[in-house]
Amino acid sequence: MRLIAFLFAFIIAVPAYAQGIQQTKGSFEDKFRQLDEVLPDPNVYRNASGAPGHRYWQQEADYKIVADLDEANRRLSAKGTVTYTNNSPDTLPWIWMQLDQNIYKKDSIAEMTRTFGAPGRGEAARMSLGQLRRMQDMADKPYGYDINAVTLSNGRALDYTIVGTMMRIDLATPLRPGQSVSFNIDWAFNIIEVDSLGGRSGYEHFPDDPREGGNDIFLFAQWFPRLVAYSDYEGWHNKEFLGSGEFTLEFGNYDVTMNVPNDHIISSTGVLANASSVLTGTQRQRLAQARGADAPMFIVTPDEAEANESSNPTGTKTWRYTAQNVRDFAWATSRKFAWDAQGHKQPGAKNETVLAMSFYPKEGGELWQKYSTAAVVHTMKVYSRFSFDYPYPTAQSVNGPVGGMEYPMITFNGPRTNLNEDGTRTYSLSEKVFLVGVVIHEIGHIYFPMTVNTDERQWTWMDEGINSFLDSVAGYEWDPNMPWTRSLPRDLIPYMTSQNQVPIMTQSDSVLNLGPNAYGKPSAAYHILRDTIIGRERFDFAMREYARRWKFKRPTPADFFRTMEEASGTDLDWFWRGWFYTTDHVDISLDTIHRLRMDTKNPDIDLSRRREERADKPEKVGVRLNREQGLPIWVLENPGVTDFYDENDQFTVTPKDTKSYESFLEGLDDWERRVFDRAVEEDKNYYVLNFSNKGGLVMPIILGLTFADGTSERMYIPAEIWRRNSRRVSKLLVFDKDKELASVEVDPELETADADVSNNSYPRKIIDSRVEAFKRPAPSSRTGRDLMAEVLVVEEEETESESEGSE
Amino acid sequence: MIRAFALLCAVLLLPLTGPVAAHQQKVTLSSVSHNERTGLLEVVHRVPLHDAEHALEARGVLAPDIINNLDNRRAVARYVASRFSVEHKGQPIALTLLGTEIEGGRLVVYQEATSPGSGAQLSIRSQILTDVWARQENRVNMGTGTSVETLVFSAGDAARLARLP
Repeated sequence: MRLIAFLFAFIIAVPAYAQGIQQTKGSFEDKFRQLDEVLPDPNVYRNASGAPGHRYWQQEADYKIVADLDEANRRLSAKGTVTYTNNSPDTLPWIWMQLDQNIYKKDSIAEMTRTFGAPGRGEAARMSLGQLRRMQDMADKPYGYDINAVTLSNGRALDYTIVGTMMRIDLATPLRPGQSVSFNIDWAFNIIEVDSLGGRSGYEHFPDDPREGGNDIFLFAQWFPRLVAYSDYEGWHNKEFLGSGEFTLEFGNYDVTMNVPNDHIISSTGVLANASSVLTGTQRQRLAQARGADAPMFIVTPDEAEANESSNPTGTKTWRYTAQNVRDFAWATSRKFAWDAQGHKQPGAKNETVLAMSFYPKEGGELWQKYSTAAVVHTMKVYSRFSFDYPYPTAQSVNGPVGGMEYPMITFNGPRTNLNEDGTRTYSLSEKVFLVGVVIHEIGHIYFPMTVNTDERQWTWMDEGINSFLDSVAGYEWDPNMPWTRSLPRDLIPYMTSQNQVPIMTQSDSVLNLGPNAYGKPSAAYHILRDTIIGRERFDFAMREYARRWKFKRPTPADFFRTMEEASGTDLDWFWRGWFYTTDHVDISLDTIHRLRMDTKNPDIDLSRRREERADKPEKVGVRLNREQGLPIWVLENPGVTDFYDENDQFTVTPKDTKSYESFLEGLDDWERRVFDRAVEEDKNYYVLNFSNKGGLVMPIILGLTFADGTSERMYIPAEIWRRNSRRVSKLLVFDKDKELASVEVDPELETADADVSNNSYPRKIIDSRVEAFKRPAPSSRTGRDLMAEVLVVEEEETESESEGSE
Repeated sequence: MIRAFALLCAVLLLPLTGPVAAHQQKVTLSSVSHNERTGLLEVVHRVPLHDAEHALEARGVLAPDIINNLDNRRAVARYVASRFSVEHKGQPIALTLLGTEIEGGRLVVYQEATSPGSGAQLSIRSQILTDVWARQENRVNMGTGTSVETLVFSAGDAARLARLP
């Protein structure tokens, strides 16, 4: 009863979950409550182990498109035939399509709900020239799709209804399970300028190129009406495109013909089907050589690209690309592109040689020559270890106005060189880090979500989290000394302690602080799972299993959580619950340590120890002062008053004590006597460590133990220690007699994102603040330190003296 | 009508020049804390390197390189310091710029001043990079460790009051 009373005294009241299971008495919070009340029920489509169920299905959408680029007017017109196959068990009376370009219509939800940073009281409102440019652009030109016709193959018009970025096509007859329907769409749209309107595709203008009127790079994505996904867990996914939540798509086969000016080079999803019609003999020969090359080879050299920049087209050229089993299709075209390629070998894979390629203008320069295609190859080597062989025949990196965006087989990446006054081009280290990092990240997306086809509109974190985790793995394997960012547990502490955040399990368009929430925090979580909680072997196995199970299929969060648990053999419900469903952070405090020593019950030993313990205590201050003052002590000055008690203290062993000891020994059973004798003989050191959980997240307790003999060891206490009390726990540690504990440190290698290290050590250490650590004369391992104070003082003094001089 | 006119008059144009490459994070994170041992007010800003370089570029600096070029780095540090203010009882607290360091992909800028003491009511304003990008978001954590209050600033936001833990 006393123990229970003690616990209640220290538990802070917390609200019970508003779920099916509720704690309606007391304030106990079960951080280990299983997730089955939160996750959707397993079924025949998605089973309880997180794998596709035995009746898993998904739809298929195949496209045949002919697109015409009107370069002068920056307009794309296209006609396409869509063949939709209903693999679901449901009969579908209509089909929904995604009209993503409609996000740029003046009355779109995205446009109408753009907010403005209101000025403070008495302050002027602020607006950038960029904002004004955007407003003027939107006012001057109509954007969004023009849907000219939707017809069946026999020419019969189909009724359609446009709802923002979605379009419902009413079928002539309901589409039954197993049936397919083909229909034609005729559409066009004005291409947006990315530097003006932002977004994931569009054109970039280069007014300073030598060609009259300059040049453009065109990036085409979300450029055709795409099927809305129809799934077993949501039916039609009719959440509109608002800008943050990306795409939820169906796999299919594509046959796309592009008519562009005949001096353009195209990079595209898929494989070039008519190389002999669009490439020169030299270019085809170079491309063939590149397949076996160990380093990137030019198909179009930078000099040739610069020459193209000055040319004028004499007509159009028709390029044709085909792609099998892709969930999207994107392409880029410009006369500015240099083009390099290198074959990446995957012995035994479906695509034994993957062509890694990069397309970039002169503005990409040496930065792109050295690092883009190399990073593409490196990505495939690392990511395939965690998943499967790269699943497509090409992997491309294209430089344009979009900072970083991914599509099947093709990615758009933004970093560039700077033009110096002397005409040379250079780049900063951070631009280099960004290029390598973004290429790894975007090529990595070809695995997640282009192949493991997660629902981006609903869950940004599902692809971005795994991809940020893997891009940091690949980054550190590229060069551990590069200043990578954003993905390790220690990087996330300021975000995880901050207010105004939402749980990871938040719909993509409602996420606050998308970067740390959907990229950084899940990545940090996976690093902790891999390196601390599960271990690399089992984590990597589970991650591979997740990727293998859901390759070319559509997993949900539950499928991921269940697969990682089942394949690793680890109950992680507590981890998913804490990291993905709450906004708690990690802060485990080591409050106190108590040292214990086992009594022998032998009065000759135990009472002697008590005497020593008493002697070890400091002398009473008053007695010491009396002695120093020379005050007489009565019993010393009057020896006649002494008796037995002056010769025997309270720890003197009496016959009664000895008899009691003998009775104790006689009362023990044989096994009790053996255990007792051994414990007395070993006389081990016992320590009780008292921890409190100040951050809320339950996590393993990792201890760095240092002993008096100078040795040290690491101890891992699983998170389950918190299962009966998530606020405070005590742990008994036992060491041999000659191993005396000197100090203990929680999370000594900073691997759990512990927010406050000042309560991690016992005995307590004085922990420098960030500023104090920065000011210390000898900086630690942190790089790039620049103590500016003295320099700035000198600069200020110089400025002041100059001012004085001028007066 | 008069009020609307007044508001229109008050709109200031932010001096964004030239196209700026996309994919900036457009988020800074600062912390303001009282150091009990030293009696100092400590301010630490974390600015994404890539954002900072593009901001310099937008302001006409050719080929900015914050990691290797100390002049560039100091220019950013001075700029960050100029866009962040702390007031106590209506008076600005003069923050000393201590220096910078590179931490991963971030530039960390350090400042300090004599602290008004734990519990002091401060007026904080962070407008770092809001004059470059309208969508910039600046988070300021009041305090360090496990318990902080977070202030979030967008372009044009006024100063906010917060207690120094």
